[in-house]
Amino acid sequence: MNEEIISVKNISKRFGAVQALDNVDLVINKGEIHCLVGENGSGKSTLIKIISGVESPDSGDISINGKLYKKLNAIDSMREGIQVIYQDLALFPNLSVGENISLNQRIEKKEKFINWREVRDIAEKELKSIGKAINPDDLVEDLSVANRQIVAICRALTHEAKLIIMDEPTTALTKNEVENLFKIILDLKAQGISVLFISHKLSEVFIISDKIAILRDGKKVGDFKAEELDNEKLVFYMTGKKLVATKFKCEIKQDSGKPLLELKNFTKKGNFLDINLKLYSGEILGIIGLLGSGRSELATAIFGLNKPDSGELFIDGEKVVIDNPGEAIEHGICYLPEDRLSEGLFIEKEIEENLSVIILKNYIKSGLIQRKKLRTDIEKLSKDLNIKTPSLELPVQSLSGGNQQKVVVAKWIAANPKIFILDGPTVGIDVGSKSDIHQIIRNLANKGIGIIIISDEIPEALQNSNRILVMRHGRIVKELESDCITEEELNKIVIESIPKQPEKVSI
Amino acid sequence: MRKIFKQNEIYIFFIMIALIIIITSFNRSFFTLENFFDLLKGHSYEGILAIGFFLVLLSGGIDVSFTAIAVVGMYIGVYTLILTGLNNIFIALLVAGLVGILLGAINALFIGVFKIPTLITTLGTLSAFQGGLMSYLQATKQTVISDPPTSIVNFGKFAIFRIVTAKGSVIELSIFGFIFAFFAILTWVILKYTTLGRSIKAMGGNREAAKRAGFNILRIQFFIYCYVGFMAGIAGLMFGSYLRYIDPLNLVGNELTIIAAVVLGGASIMGGRGSIIGTVIGVSIITILNTSLVFMKVPQYFQQAVIGAIIVISVSITAYRQKRKDRETRVLDVA
Repeated sequence: MNEEIISVKNISKRFGAVQALDNVDLVINKGEIHCLVGENGSGKSTLIKIISGVESPDSGDISINGKLYKKLNAIDSMREGIQVIYQDLALFPNLSVGENISLNQRIEKKEKFINWREVRDIAEKELKSIGKAINPDDLVEDLSVANRQIVAICRALTHEAKLIIMDEPTTALTKNEVENLFKIILDLKAQGISVLFISHKLSEVFIISDKIAILRDGKKVGDFKAEELDNEKLVFYMTGKKLVATKFKCEIKQDSGKPLLELKNFTKKGNFLDINLKLYSGEILGIIGLLGSGRSELATAIFGLNKPDSGELFIDGEKVVIDNPGEAIEHGICYLPEDRLSEGLFIEKEIEENLSVIILKNYIKSGLIQRKKLRTDIEKLSKDLNIKTPSLELPVQSLSGGNQQKVVVAKWIAANPKIFILDGPTVGIDVGSKSDIHQIIRNLANKGIGIIIISDEIPEALQNSNRILVMRHGRIVKELESDCITEEELNKIVIESIPKQPEKVSI
Repeated sequence: MRKIFKQNEIYIFFIMIALIIIITSFNRSFFTLENFFDLLKGHSYEGILAIGFFLVLLSGGIDVSFTAIAVVGMYIGVYTLILTGLNNIFIALLVAGLVGILLGAINALFIGVFKIPTLITTLGTLSAFQGGLMSYLQATKQTVISDPPTSIVNFGKFAIFRIVTAKGSVIELSIFGFIFAFFAILTWVILKYTTLGRSIKAMGGNREAAKRAGFNILRIQFFIYCYVGFMAGIAGLMFGSYLRYIDPLNLVGNELTIIAAVVLGGASIMGGRGSIIGTVIGVSIITILNTSLVFMKVPQYFQQAVIGAIIVISVSITAYRQKRKDRETRVLDVA
């Protein structure tokens, strides 16, 4: 089955000073699951936009279904059966599932009137072929993220798609939902529909793809069959460096006996129950658990955002009551939030401003800000953390996800924390930046800072902590040294005796 | 059954019923067919303006120029009859409608082609349209038309049926109510059964997605603003006929009443949500409040305060419900 659906050759595209793509080839065959990987800025989204006709290349050829296109526009691309599902899904939240699935098609066919029975029938047919029981009358805004994704896929299918392009489809899904999505993708493959998807999660890439295309700095560095690669090789091709995954070893001796942070009987109804933990200087404590296990709730409680009903908190052996983040910061506690875009950054403001936010008050003399001194210190900070940007005056939203996260981390480091809690610090970040952030965290620990890292990825927790706590339903169910356990065993503990995953998780 | 209670409309419907009961307890003559038909006759034009405002709101925009369009349409419609000497109501209606379409198209031009935000555009055209009319009138040394042609007067008096009761009270269903119902139903059909209508709602829900799906946003916007302009022109003419007095200073300044009605009816300021039924109920409640507060000797300023409070409370409730909805279905929000 070597029928080529799409073949692009020698594609180049330049945006101003940046060569986004440099002589890139890509061939996708019928019924093939092809994965596109690359760090942020490697050219993945640009390539997708060119394939879907939204952007046109400076040079190169595009052949779809054997037809050569001199100029490809979005409508042609759609007509040839290429459908893109963007990361934000582009659904209409105020319309029903059935409408979302069939509205675009009706417009394409230039139909003037809506036949509601037909709308329902089409929707039911597609939903059935996917095998998911979603009510076509439900409004999309009432659905979980995973179900919305299914609606987006159904919509793509109504256009008789030959190639479905998915941009980071698994970022917002739980493990179960990811498995379900993969089942659907394999089904599509069986029907002869090709899938091209972009993903940062290398483990998933290996599970689902037939072929893997790797981009780096706008060039294609390789196209491999999934069997030909392993994690190490893949990371090497993506970053050009050998990122050896070493294990963190706590270097500071625990001789003083007094923990940096201690919680006794921390309890909050509906959030967490009877939490007792100790954090020592120089160590990294990993907290893992399923969605809804109370990890973030606990973290925000320590930071003063989520006051507990009862329990005591001690810093350096002294009892402390923290009522708000301001007080937490004064006690040396810093918290990196789960959602950097809405809680960690002032997304439209300059990088410089974002970096200065916490420490600004230290630079005020007689009511005025000492801009020069601040600027010098900020520049050093940015260099230390390897934040890649042509200028600190650009808005922070111009940065890639990985660099944005580094800005958030830098902002907190500038405040000289004693205790640093990081909630999901490498979610949605490319491999290179991920490794950078891990190194930054380890360096902090080696300077004597006590670190708590909340993670959904067991390998990340295992490699970057010396001690691990497992939380379930708001309690700590297990505490162990990360030396003493393997990934499989830890995985088993985490998912032990979970009830069937509900579709909506109330937080 | 549960689904009915989830709808916004059922709540305001009950509020309306409650209002009617309360007011009737103060004044028994409120709850008569004569009174209801009377209210309908005097306020149908507001209902039509509300439907127009709702349509724009649904698409994700906001149009505050409708009162100015109504006034200009009204004046030019009547003036055409005077100028040409043709005493035909249909000509007046046609002219008023066409003027409305033209002015609406000007809105659409700025909004759709020059991409100026809707509120700013329509605030500008609100002043510009009325200002334009006033300048022309001043230049030609005219003001009000205190004695409009008989066809206009008759239009205002025209009743679909008239019953005189034994007590001597007159129960008549004016043609205005019929026109209001016509526009309400027409708009409802467009919104529910045409691709264009669904596109309008879709646009209000997610403008970006609509663009990506290949909707012809410009064409849709021209339709919306011209259609709303048309209705505004007709509504203006109805207003003038009812008063039998064509005053260019009328109407403009009363936008808030309409806006309150539409927002009360459940339409979201953000766009994409709301219904014709809700709008109709909203207009009814505002009309009842406006007319009955006067009945109960409540001063004018207090009425304004009540209207303002209604807007704030309705918008808050809609926003709060949306926030709860977002929180309930949040799994892992990563952009």
